[in-house]
Amino acid sequence: MEKWLGWLSLILTLTLGWTVWDASRPEWEQYQKAYYRVALSRAENEAQREWARSQRVEIRQLQLKERDTVERCVTCHAAYDNPMFRSYREPLRAHSSLVESHPPKRFGCTACHGGEGRAVTTLEAHGEGAILAKPPLKGEYAQAACYNCHGLSTLPPQATAAVVRGQHLVNRYFCLACHRINGEGGEEGPDLSAAGSDRSWLWLYAHTARPQGVLGGSTMPIFSLTRDEIRDVTVYLMTLLNSRDQLKNLPLRARRAAKDYVAEKPVEGATGDKPDSRDIGDGIDFKYGGRDLFQGAGCSLCHMIGITGGEVGPALTHIARKRDAKDLERLLKDPEQVLPGGKMPQLYLNERQIRALVGYLSTLS
Amino acid sequence: MKGIADIRAKISRANELMGRELPRRFYRSVFRGNYPGTVRQQLAVVVNNLILHVHPTRVYQRSIKAKTTFGLGLICFYLFIIEWITGVFLMFYYEPSTGAAYGRILDLHYTITFGRVMRNLHRWAAEAMVVAVVLHMCRVFYTGAYKPPREFNWVLGVVLLLLTLALSFTGYLLPWDQLSFWAVTVGTNIVSYAPVLGLKLRFLLLGGDTVGSDALLRFYTLHVIAIPALAALIINYHIWRVIKDGGLAHPQASEEKAPQLQRTEGVILTFPRVVYIELLVFVVLMVGLLAASLLFDAPLEEEANPLRPSNPSKAPWYFLGLQELVSYSAFWGGVMVPTVLTAFLLLLPYADRRPDGVGVWFARERTGMIVLWTVILIGIIVTTVIGVYLRGPNWNFYWPWQGWPGPH
Repeated sequence: MEKWLGWLSLILTLTLGWTVWDASRPEWEQYQKAYYRVALSRAENEAQREWARSQRVEIRQLQLKERDTVERCVTCHAAYDNPMFRSYREPLRAHSSLVESHPPKRFGCTACHGGEGRAVTTLEAHGEGAILAKPPLKGEYAQAACYNCHGLSTLPPQATAAVVRGQHLVNRYFCLACHRINGEGGEEGPDLSAAGSDRSWLWLYAHTARPQGVLGGSTMPIFSLTRDEIRDVTVYLMTLLNSRDQLKNLPLRARRAAKDYVAEKPVEGATGDKPDSRDIGDGIDFKYGGRDLFQGAGCSLCHMIGITGGEVGPALTHIARKRDAKDLERLLKDPEQVLPGGKMPQLYLNERQIRALVGYLSTLS
Repeated sequence: MKGIADIRAKISRANELMGRELPRRFYRSVFRGNYPGTVRQQLAVVVNNLILHVHPTRVYQRSIKAKTTFGLGLICFYLFIIEWITGVFLMFYYEPSTGAAYGRILDLHYTITFGRVMRNLHRWAAEAMVVAVVLHMCRVFYTGAYKPPREFNWVLGVVLLLLTLALSFTGYLLPWDQLSFWAVTVGTNIVSYAPVLGLKLRFLLLGGDTVGSDALLRFYTLHVIAIPALAALIINYHIWRVIKDGGLAHPQASEEKAPQLQRTEGVILTFPRVVYIELLVFVVLMVGLLAASLLFDAPLEEEANPLRPSNPSKAPWYFLGLQELVSYSAFWGGVMVPTVLTAFLLLLPYADRRPDGVGVWFARERTGMIVLWTVILIGIIVTTVIGVYLRGPNWNFYWPWQGWPGPH
């Protein structure tokens, strides 16, 4: 009995040792140590050397009074404010000059980049750990955050170019035929009004690229988008937030609004505020005929003609035998009236588009 | 010169005192004697020691066999102590306000030294305690240990079961994440199905009609002081009653079969054997819990958002059997079943007065009761498993290999 007790006590001691060992070697230490080491080796004068030597390796945090929180991103990204580190790789890379107008001591990091500001491991801070945070927005993806504070009116166009392109793509591919955004659009697919709050950009990217890869059995068609286009759609979707996330940066926004109200005028070339989503349909270029419209505008995503097209709606290979031109015209104008309760969405097509489509469909007999 | 020698002598005496004499005196002041070697001394140890004196000086040989109790009562006690210690640690950092609570939990998790392992320990020990308490109750039932003269100790045990569930449930809300917020919303909704008093009861519990800052403060106070203090008192009473009711339930020898033999045969001293075994159980339990806490993090989701219900919203797992029943009928699942079950448990030792089968696992004379208990137990387990694993969005049924549709 004593022997058992002895051995098991030893195991308990070892487990306690494991606990201490586990707590004593945090991941961030290596990044900070590397930072000071490199800073020391690259120091150009005695003052810089002295600075690098005197730095303590410790958890660092930005206390954000206006947002009433703390963020510890700079524990690993310690070189964010050191211009010597412009060309280094993450996490030891200096931030672009945008920090000059958005001082991190006031704005913090997650206001623009998302992620979990309190965490100090890569996995958890970048939203890949047990707690569901959002993976950070980098590069073009951070434009979603620019847009969410500034809108389109006061920024140079390149600052929200991806958002604008994404919005055009959403119009061009008739996403609102199935999806609803802020009360507009169909009900076939999920409401996207808060897509950016409900999902991470990684998820949205993967789902836009190939819905069935993320949600098995999804009836959403695969759109043949380029990588850049998928990214732009994702960036646009990331601007769609629920009220709670919209309010998150309110203290910062409110102050900016008060300051900007008189001072800033719309920058030349800016696209104006969020385009009205009722303009859907106008994304189509009218110079194409009905056939191009059918292939390019989304009809073929659900309907099959010959051997190409989707299987969500009925095949239209011989549609002219079933419905005449007038019938088709009425159907395209208001599907709900002709096929009550059907899946065919209201596409908000204009007269010319309908005429072009009807012209094409009437040839299929 | 004499003066100097005098001082030297004084210094060396002081050294002697501080170096050897003081530790020895201190040791003696705590432990009055040497290691107890003789039977007489070993008996005295149990009687004279504050902690050990809850034991009898001698126990039956069979009492320390694993299959007699599986040490379940002891494990429940240890888990309560572990909860106490880790809970006090967490209290140093936690703040029961809706604005700060979640951030405090994240800080515990991410930056506070040992914060993560302490929170994990607290969580896993709490889950283990619910399981251990139920298993302990099953042991007592299946060995007929609730029969006279132990009826009242069974009642105390039932109260402790309810307090354990209450402790676990009140603690569930404190992280203030999506999981806890909606679990407590669902859990307190079950309360509101009670007739007449239901809504009042929920209001009393939450300090409002929905889970908010008052609910958090209430749950916190209940969790850290009100319920633990009551539970600690009753646990003491419960353990004390074990001895006063004649120790562990012991098979009754019938009059004809050598009545005297049973009383004297197979008795051992409590010290050191029983004490060592009890320590052993603690060490094994602690190793298991620590390893689990280092390997698996306690669940935590996004911060609570009252505007965005999680779908499915599930109560804590030990209430999911009830939630499953509530999904068929609010009245039966929310009111009748819990009331009838509690009444059944409280009245059991007074209703089942047949004295046979005490201290024997699955005694043949008690087949009826054993079947009844097992059926109830299986019913609870099956509904709980369905609730935990087989219910998806909108409380629809999904096999584990079927994916849940839609956003989740």
